[in-house]
Amino acid sequence: MADDTLRQTPEVIEAVRRLPADTYNQRAFRIKRALDLSLKHRILPTEQWTKFEEDVRYLKPYLEEVEREMKEKADWNAR
Amino acid sequence: MTGPLRKSHPLFRILNGSLVDLPAPSNLSVWWNFGSLLSLCLIVQLITGIFLAMHYTADISLAFSSVSHICRDVNYGWLLRNIHANSASFFFICLYCHIGRGIYYGSYVNQETWNIGVILFLITMVTAFVGYVLPWGQMSFWAATVITNLLSAVPYIGEMLVQWVWGGFSVDNATLTRFFTFHFLFPFIIAALSIIHLLFLHQTSSNNPTGLDSNYDKAPFHVYFSTKDLVGFLVLLAGILTLALLAPTALNDPENFIPANPLVTPTHIQPEWYFLFAYAILRSIPNKLGGVIALLAAVLVWVLVPILHTSWNQASTFRPLSQVTFWILAATFIILTWIGSQPVEEPYIIIGQVASVLYFSIFVFLFPGIAVIENKLLLRY
Repeated sequence: MADDTLRQTPEVIEAVRRLPADTYNQRAFRIKRALDLSLKHRILPTEQWTKFEEDVRYLKPYLEEVEREMKEKADWNAR
Repeated sequence: MTGPLRKSHPLFRILNGSLVDLPAPSNLSVWWNFGSLLSLCLIVQLITGIFLAMHYTADISLAFSSVSHICRDVNYGWLLRNIHANSASFFFICLYCHIGRGIYYGSYVNQETWNIGVILFLITMVTAFVGYVLPWGQMSFWAATVITNLLSAVPYIGEMLVQWVWGGFSVDNATLTRFFTFHFLFPFIIAALSIIHLLFLHQTSSNNPTGLDSNYDKAPFHVYFSTKDLVGFLVLLAGILTLALLAPTALNDPENFIPANPLVTPTHIQPEWYFLFAYAILRSIPNKLGGVIALLAAVLVWVLVPILHTSWNQASTFRPLSQVTFWILAATFIILTWIGSQPVEEPYIIIGQVASVLYFSIFVFLFPGIAVIENKLLLRY
């Protein structure tokens, strides 16, 4: 999924930390599978590809929450 | 019970942490071999260089014939000289592959590691440049004259600066002796900076070909990557020996078989192949100071790459437009290298200028701009 490929910024790291356990575990499985396929120079069979409708932005709500909090902290620290 | 010696001994545990139990991403590809290959190149250059230094004389009346003496009279001196000269080319092949890997996979997000790498590259360029002067052939002398004269473009202090570097009023004995000193000293600075480069790298762990967080799947450096690196070493050594034994003058400029003569200027003064891209950028600007600034900018623009990174992804692995842009950069680099070897005539002038503009545009505009487009198209951010 697209949200699996996000760069490890402090916001993304914190958002991932806040994920519910099952979502986190599914993310971990997909990433580990991707690393394993990468080392074997293979790709998934077509039937296992993520469909466009299934590519949910699961991290977006957490990311937005973290960004809001960090902005608020920065605003308070600026005073 | 103190555990294995490699983990408890104060010295061994440092080596253990870098070369044995280091957690490395499991999917490192061949593009991750070039770091260790650079270390091997440095070691080869240090060993062959120290033996060459035992027989070389840094004096303008003796330098050329001392190199000839090394090749003819010193036991295996011909081999030492051939390996040293050709390993410089392999050093730069490995450098460009290493940097290319860094750009393509977004490894530069580790900014400290990346910036030390840029400094390492600059010092390596200086080391190779002063090293090329030492045989005191025609191209040694005239390349030194052309490049050191660029310092005179610095406003106000330029003339004083270039005479300070020369140690006189032209490239002469004083220049040769200090260039030998620099060429001997700088590789040790490179070695020290390489250790600091690794220190910062190991704060964050290596990147990997997917650009994803590799904490989910690590493998110990030994035995997986020690073996992979050993294979890389054997391939590199085979390449060095093939060139040194079968085609030692393939990358040579024939002018350097002629002893340096300040009264005779070669028709085509050009540096070794690994500097040609920068040479082309230098010559594409009709103004002397502008050319010098462009020459420096050709390498210093790499410092901007992490700052201008706009993609939500680290690597180009899942970004086809950025991949195409990267290969356009590679092609531009090759075109600039070709142009640097050509005379300053049409159509090479206009091709060089277009390629120079494209080179800088890729770093400053295309990489960031295309990443923004990909963020919207691919990631919907």
